Amino acid sequence: MSVISVSHLTKRYGPVLAVDDLSFDVHPGKVTGFLGPNGAGKTTTLRILLGLAAPTSGSATIGGLEYRLLADPVRQVGAVLDSSTFHPSRSAAQHLKVIATATGVPFRRVGEVLDLVGLADAAGRRVGGYSLGMRQRLSLAGALLGDPGVLVLDEPLNGLDPEGIRWMRGLLRSFAAEGRTVLVSSHLLTEVAQTVDDVVVLAKGRAIAETTLADLTERSSVTRARTTDATLLANVLLAAGIQVRLIDGSTVEARSTSADTVGLAAAAANIPILELSRHDEDLESLFFDLINDRQEVTA
Amino acid sequence: MNATMRLVSAEFRKLFTTFAVPLSVAIASVLAVASVLIDAVVAGRAGQPAIGSAASTYQMLKIGAVAVVVMLILGILAAGSEFRHRTIVPTLLATPRRARVFVVKVAVVALFGAVFGAVIFGLGLGTVDGVLAAHGIHHLPAAVGRMYLGTVIASACFGMIGVALGALTRNTVGAIVAAIGWTLFFEEITLNTVAPHLEKWLPVGASIGLTNPPAPSVLAPTAAGVVLAGYALAMLVAASRTTIRRDIG
Repeated sequence: MSVISVSHLTKRYGPVLAVDDLSFDVHPGKVTGFLGPNGAGKTTTLRILLGLAAPTSGSATIGGLEYRLLADPVRQVGAVLDSSTFHPSRSAAQHLKVIATATGVPFRRVGEVLDLVGLADAAGRRVGGYSLGMRQRLSLAGALLGDPGVLVLDEPLNGLDPEGIRWMRGLLRSFAAEGRTVLVSSHLLTEVAQTVDDVVVLAKGRAIAETTLADLTERSSVTRARTTDATLLANVLLAAGIQVRLIDGSTVEARSTSADTVGLAAAAANIPILELSRHDEDLESLFFDLINDRQEVTA
Repeated sequence: MNATMRLVSAEFRKLFTTFAVPLSVAIASVLAVASVLIDAVVAGRAGQPAIGSAASTYQMLKIGAVAVVVMLILGILAAGSEFRHRTIVPTLLATPRRARVFVVKVAVVALFGAVFGAVIFGLGLGTVDGVLAAHGIHHLPAAVGRMYLGTVIASACFGMIGVALGALTRNTVGAIVAAIGWTLFFEEITLNTVAPHLEKWLPVGASIGLTNPPAPSVLAPTAAGVVLAGYALAMLVAASRTTIRRDIG
């Protein structure tokens, strides 16, 4: 059963369609990557999900309810939308105590989350003097304050150093392993490829892929066939519904298929195969292909 | 503690964990005491009423404007800085019921404004008392109590007007510049010169009816209180509508 459900969500800002009939689900026990280039509509979608913006139409719910209707939002959902939502003259501890006071979370939890994100030593310092990485950690501390079952994080790796990125990945994985639901947005697939189980890829406000990372990786591999008549082989494969690309006069590249399929199709058409090889394209290229071609992929 | 009381407590915590409040108290205290002392020094000179006269004591106690203007700025900061520093995001994530957040913020700033007005006027009054005692005078004119209460009410109202301005503009610097421009330059200098009979009906003019001694050019305290509360209410209604409806970008 999905925890986060976005259904036919549309958001229009004047003439600009920021989110266009977007639907996807996020499941518990998994880290779901919400991916797309800058301006694809990721942050707008998350803002609507978190009750900060109103949809033009459609809905975005958590546990079946709109955010504003949640009985105890900080204990149900932890969210990081941007890394600078602090008054510069408050300390990290004061910032968290404001949220804790408003929500009835005990103050001892403030120390616990500051410890968890590695800011215990800087807890009394004014946030105005914090680095971007420290602000990112403090944002996360705020999200974890109510020990929620759902985490929604917008570009959480921005500003983190390599050690911080590794730490964040571990944290997200352990969260999912505990059966919690994690939705993480990023404009870089490779940035989250080591962390996510599922992916929702967004381009121009629409979901162009909603699948598992394993499936996406599978799709990122190509089979190359060297033959005597590349054009003929390409047409045969195309007729079989396989995506192909002519590399040169003798080589055809087939995507999202196996070497067996290509070999058998060539044999059936009596086209000699001189060489057959499998190549793994990098994920980022696939990601760019996806968002540029806007081909729809579903699991 | 129920949700509303927790929110009240959180709003007070916000107020007291930035530099704005201690700085405002310090500035207003210094200005109020300095204003009293300057009036005491010039009393009896160059046509000014002599120390001990009701007119002189009233002149020294025209310090309500200090509390009022400082509360206006504090109110703007209390609401505007939520947008300026984007703390509105964690605020609304913790409490998505925007109407409740807005009402509580207004109530907390109004309550703080009342106490602030009482403290600043009290400080000025203490200074006046000291000045008069040094001259062997131990009585105060009749309207002082009313001016004290008027300052408390006007400070609370201007705190609320500040919250409305901060929430409407979402721009602390712009709102403060506009507010100072309005109070000081438009109402006090321009309008007071060009059309003085209109000024008493405007926010600053009405606050003078509350904070200053009775005069033919200002509204009677009750009317002034009603007019000022009316402005505060109208602006709060406008601000609440936008605050509750607008997207947080």
